[in-house]
Amino acid sequence: MRRAGLRMRVTAGFASGALALSTLMAGVSYQLTRTSLLAERERAAVRATYFDAAVVHGGLDTPDPDIGNILRSLDTGGTRRALLRRDGTWYARTADANITSAIPGLMQRQVEHGEPSMQRVRSDRHAALVVGVPLSQDTWFYEVHSLEELDQTLKLLALVLTAVAIMVAAGGATLGWYAARYATRPLRSVADAAQRIADGDLTARLDPTPDPDLTRLTTSFNDMVSQLSRRMEADRRFAADVSHELRSPLQTLAAAASVLARRTPQLDQRTATAAGLVTDEVARFQSLVNDLLELARSDQSADRGLVGIAGLARQACQAYHLPEDLIIADSDDEPWWVDHRRVRQILGNLLDNAIKYGDGPTAIRLLATGEDYVIEVEDHGPGVDPEDRDIIFDRFGRGRAARARGAGAGAGLGLAIVAQHASAHGGRVTVHDRSDGGARFRVELPRQAP
Amino acid sequence: MIEDDDRIRLSLLLALEDEGYTARGVPTAEEGLAAQQTDPADTVLVDLMLPGIDGFECIRQMRRGDDVPIVVISARDDTHDIVAALEAGADDYLVKPVAVKELSARLRALRRRARPAAPPNPILAFGDLEIVPDAGEVRRGGVPVAVTRTEFRLLCELANHPGQVLSRQQLLQRVWEYDFGDERLVDVHVGRLRQKIETDSSAPRRLVTVRGMGYKLQR
Repeated sequence: MRRAGLRMRVTAGFASGALALSTLMAGVSYQLTRTSLLAERERAAVRATYFDAAVVHGGLDTPDPDIGNILRSLDTGGTRRALLRRDGTWYARTADANITSAIPGLMQRQVEHGEPSMQRVRSDRHAALVVGVPLSQDTWFYEVHSLEELDQTLKLLALVLTAVAIMVAAGGATLGWYAARYATRPLRSVADAAQRIADGDLTARLDPTPDPDLTRLTTSFNDMVSQLSRRMEADRRFAADVSHELRSPLQTLAAAASVLARRTPQLDQRTATAAGLVTDEVARFQSLVNDLLELARSDQSADRGLVGIAGLARQACQAYHLPEDLIIADSDDEPWWVDHRRVRQILGNLLDNAIKYGDGPTAIRLLATGEDYVIEVEDHGPGVDPEDRDIIFDRFGRGRAARARGAGAGAGLGLAIVAQHASAHGGRVTVHDRSDGGARFRVELPRQAP
Repeated sequence: MIEDDDRIRLSLLLALEDEGYTARGVPTAEEGLAAQQTDPADTVLVDLMLPGIDGFECIRQMRRGDDVPIVVISARDDTHDIVAALEAGADDYLVKPVAVKELSARLRALRRRARPAAPPNPILAFGDLEIVPDAGEVRRGGVPVAVTRTEFRLLCELANHPGQVLSRQQLLQRVWEYDFGDERLVDVHVGRLRQKIETDSSAPRRLVTVRGMGYKLQR
């Protein structure tokens, strides 16, 4: 299972902390309130029972009292019921058969021993409080106080406290979410900066922060990027300097080789072969140096202008002696806002690649979608192995088809230049399989307002 | 050929002689400028990085009284250098190492440029601007305007298609004979031409840019 993100974990931590705390608080408040309300209720019940007992006691003092009437004269309201036991007989205000069963036997014995007593019971599934008072040797007075109202109050209280606990937990979660977001904000800006750097913007840096906790991160990050860009710049400059320094001797070689080539017929077999090798290799060396210099210019962004893409593709076809009907262009001949030189090289290098390793191109598609300008070159060759799909766009990276050609193949810079030109436009190049065999190279160049 | 690297100069001279040209070489701009005074060449090849007077200044001085075709052969390929050399007055720009066949093709194109194709009309008039292809003359309000051969050829191409847009690539093919060339050549030459034939070269009214298409000359 994927591990939850930092933000999620912080949020969950805050939420469970808040929930635990609020549950504890709610539990304690509930208990305290309940105890205090019950005590209050008990005191009131005892008071009322004693008062009623005094009334009943007074009524019983008369000769031949009507116990039913005496009990009925009590102002008990709806919340308590009075009972009298005299000479082993139960008397009640109403004919309620079950009511005597509400009084526990243990309590009866206690009261019959002359001890006033009080006990909480459950009668008819309702909480009740029974208070018993001995009136004389053989007369005992009981009152059953309903605790239903108190019960409902406590239930409501429990409900409110539960709701509060849940809300506090939700509040904790929200707080955690925002706290995590706030705390990870520097991480996000680091991630953004890293992304910009990965996209080729080596000037991206983190803004300096006054926060002492973040200064170290910011400083080290910026130092790292500066060092990285210095090193890349040094590499680039080295490649450029090397290639540049090679140009002068190459010019001499190229001119001298052409003098040799012109005289090949007058040379003996061995010398002519050697001269041919020199001439061919000088030409290859020349294109290699040109490609290296092109790659060394990686820092320059695309110099966009309006380009008639169909005409450019036709010229590319002419240059490689390909039929122009390979080109499949959008119906509208809208010019593209791209770097002329780079797009020309993209077309040229893709065609060159298709000719060398793909048995020749079968289609050149030019599309302008809502977001991108798209160039696709399709071929009928063996396609590109999945494991080669990234390698072929690396400098000097050659796929299986190129390796198979050995020394006769290119140096593996052509597609790297295509990738570089695409990324100078903020775009990319990808290679796909065609359903009927062969490869499709697709270059996407994001549109930009002129 | 003005080139300070002895080996390059020697090998290029050998190769050019093989191609049928008569070629001479000097190592400095000073000697090149002097030679052009005493025994002028038909075409000048010049390097940019030279001891003493550099290539840019050499082109500028040579251009002052002369419409001789000048071709830059340099190891520098920054846009900045290319545009600066063309603005100084160079007709074409080649980056080292240049193949001898390519150099030869460029030189042939330059020589043909000296003789523009026979035009349908003896005088092409665009308002106060008059172009006389046979005489190789451009006049503005009756006053002759000095243009180089490349500028003249460019102007003729545009004048032969009045009011019609020619793309940069079309102009590269017709004037420089490039199949697949650098459009900066056209842009810089058009800029230079405007300074000579427009009243206000920053707001051209004759030689206008058609955005995304190319250039046209209008009456």
